[in-house]
Amino acid sequence: MSESRTIKAALASSDELAAPGKSLWHRIEPAALGIGSIVALLVVWELVPRLITLSAGTKLFFTTPSQVAGTLWRLFATGEIWTPLGVSASGFGLGLLLSIVVGLPLGVLIGRSRTLNDMIDPFITAFNATPRLVFLPLVMLWLGLGLWSKVLIVFIGALFPILINTYEGVRNADKVLINVVRSFGAKEWDIARLVVVPNAMPYIIAGLRLAIGRAVLGVVVAEFFGSESGLGVMMVQAAGRYQVDVVFSGLIIFAVLSLALTAMVQILEQRLSRWRPVHVSE
Amino acid sequence: MVACIEGRNVSLTFRPPNRGPVRALQGFDIDVQDGEFLSIVGPSGCGKSTFLNVVLGLIKADSGDVLMRGKPIAGPGTDRAMVFQEFGLLPWRTVLNNIELGLELKGVPAGQRRDVSQRFVQMVGLSGFEGHYPHELSGGMKQRVGLARALATDPDVLLMDEPFAALDAQTRDVMQVELLRIWHEAKKTVLFVTHQIEEAIYLSDRVMVMTKRPGHAKKIFAIDLPRPRDYEMRVTPEFNELKLQIWHALKDEITV
Repeated sequence: MSESRTIKAALASSDELAAPGKSLWHRIEPAALGIGSIVALLVVWELVPRLITLSAGTKLFFTTPSQVAGTLWRLFATGEIWTPLGVSASGFGLGLLLSIVVGLPLGVLIGRSRTLNDMIDPFITAFNATPRLVFLPLVMLWLGLGLWSKVLIVFIGALFPILINTYEGVRNADKVLINVVRSFGAKEWDIARLVVVPNAMPYIIAGLRLAIGRAVLGVVVAEFFGSESGLGVMMVQAAGRYQVDVVFSGLIIFAVLSLALTAMVQILEQRLSRWRPVHVSE
Repeated sequence: MVACIEGRNVSLTFRPPNRGPVRALQGFDIDVQDGEFLSIVGPSGCGKSTFLNVVLGLIKADSGDVLMRGKPIAGPGTDRAMVFQEFGLLPWRTVLNNIELGLELKGVPAGQRRDVSQRFVQMVGLSGFEGHYPHELSGGMKQRVGLARALATDPDVLLMDEPFAALDAQTRDVMQVELLRIWHEAKKTVLFVTHQIEEAIYLSDRVMVMTKRPGHAKKIFAIDLPRPRDYEMRVTPEFNELKLQIWHALKDEITV
């Protein structure tokens, strides 16, 4: 490990020796190019209606970055956004939480028990192969247009990535380590706690990352097709009124929230893998 | 006097799925006395590690008796602890937390655990590495942790399954010296499995040679070399004579 780090350091320093002037640009190049292209796109987009005269009909479907920014500002400044955002967030949060609370223990159980696995596997395979959207009419019929139908849709979407990944991780548990803890008197619960779950953690985190994507999708779908309130409802209603800037605002809020959640999972992953050797490839 | 560990006519056959049965042990007899250091050498796959796992309580013999102080071994217990071949450390636990594993499962309160683990960190010479993770340690240091973890629960018997096989030759030599020092200090009965004749002689009071599979005791050699032993002892005529005798007992069992 330390050897590879030294090699890496040596490579970096020889790089700097060869091209001393370039080192700063080298370091910021990827970020600069990324941000630069986004800024360029926004500028072009902003300039279009100023350079080209759009017909009245086209203008109805058009907005500019500055308009969207203004609308976003207004939505937050007036507090108008908090109710739909809160509704969406609680549907997302409750559904995801429920899928973790159910998926993780269930994944460990079916990963450890051949019998349970044989009993439950057909259901998982069938459910997982079915597109989640086909449950929507049934869920809305049973639970109405309120919070709980949204929670259930999110739950159905997020459950399987967590369940299946946990199961895979558990199946890959180190048999030697299981014998080690057993030799010190560990029972099945201790084996799960001390070896199986920590060992499966990278799989579980990967499952969680997938689950968050599915959960956001669940919120959006539920709100587009049958909810009383929420960010998605706000977007659909705005679209009906040709408020393109509001639709874009909703889109941006969804995008930013998804990015923030992904970043949170990454931080969680780093905190949980401090014991892991650092790989050069990363 | 009741032997510390006793095996009588022990037989065990593995029945792996998709393959034919493997007879690991057949009519295996052994007596390990209290405080004794006994090594088992034998060809690969002769069932010597299997017997350690039976004594540990992880697998059951098909027939015969395996007794600890006259009582049949029914499962794992705090009177026995194993030092594993590939160390068997939990990679997500620090040195200190790895050493405390057995104490934790025994239900020892946290404060007391810390005291005990600190003491064994010192005994195995790992002071300053308490907070390190296994991947930050060398092979020799990892096995020091393995040894400390096994000793921490204060077992009567230490079972060692080729504990130094994964180490390079020099580290192995150092660890052998260390093991003898710790053995004198901790006063445990040791049942040690190895491939290396020299290692077995250097460490042991007695060395058992096993037959090839299905394994049973072929011959037992008493090692009457004085203790404490030092590295120079390995080049004495007495040492080499023993080495030759054991090699003669062992070589017919080895099939290449």
